[in-house]
Amino acid sequence: MRWTIDHASPERLQDQIAGCVRRGIAGGELALNDQLPPAAELGEALSVNRNTVLAAYRQLRDEGLLEFRRGRGVRIAATEQATQPVIDAAADLLALARDHGLDRPAVFRILKELP
Amino acid sequence: MTTHTATGPRTIYTGRTTNWPVIVPTVVLAVLLVAMGSTGEGGRGGSGDFAVIVALLAIGIAANILTASSVRASAGPNGFDVRWGVVGWPRCVYRLDEIQHAEVIDLPWYRVTWGLWWSPRGTSCTVRSGPTVRLTLVNGRTVTVSVPEPHLAVRAIHEARRP
Repeated sequence: MRWTIDHASPERLQDQIAGCVRRGIAGGELALNDQLPPAAELGEALSVNRNTVLAAYRQLRDEGLLEFRRGRGVRIAATEQATQPVIDAAADLLALARDHGLDRPAVFRILKELP
Repeated sequence: MTTHTATGPRTIYTGRTTNWPVIVPTVVLAVLLVAMGSTGEGGRGGSGDFAVIVALLAIGIAANILTASSVRASAGPNGFDVRWGVVGWPRCVYRLDEIQHAEVIDLPWYRVTWGLWWSPRGTSCTVRSGPTVRLTLVNGRTVTVSVPEPHLAVRAIHEARRP
């Protein structure tokens, strides 16, 4: 999967790494039980400390998205939790658009024009 | 290993491919070994040779699981990094300035090496047929590596090489 982080961003590196995993799950790049790279290897490739990667992994484990298993590494434990809030928000958006007389293509156009 | 200075955006690709054609016979062999041990086969009379054979088989099984069960690759500003098995060894690292060209090739089944193979013309770390990353190094050697999404890996290298 692709990992993109910005060392110059004010957002914490561990949050950016956690965001990459969430995007990977939401986009279907990561499936249930997929194994993530060991923290030391990912840290080396991203030029961040392994403890930063571990902090991101722990954050996602606490959210229920990852599980740590001895001998099996870090794996994806859930794929629904990350996308459900977005699906709910999208449903609310479509309902709001209907109230204002906008159909789905009009909403898609608005979304595409967003930066 | 040289690493690029960590400033600004950084995009990498990571992928892991399981080497099932090695794992399956290794596990079958391990089960047979355990079964032989539990039934005491060969344990009676002249068991010295048997013990040596069992020990060698056990070492071979452990080595296979530790070093050949999967291949992990990462591509990005640090170049292309290939690691084998549970412990990440053997490991091959190709820096960006060593890579002349990166592409995706369609590997036929009869060219799959099912492990790490080195020859004067190139290195092959392939565990399945189909789309595969092929690096051509500046010294003329080629490196062929199985990754789950070879197009993303090649894209990460091309992006990292952009000024």
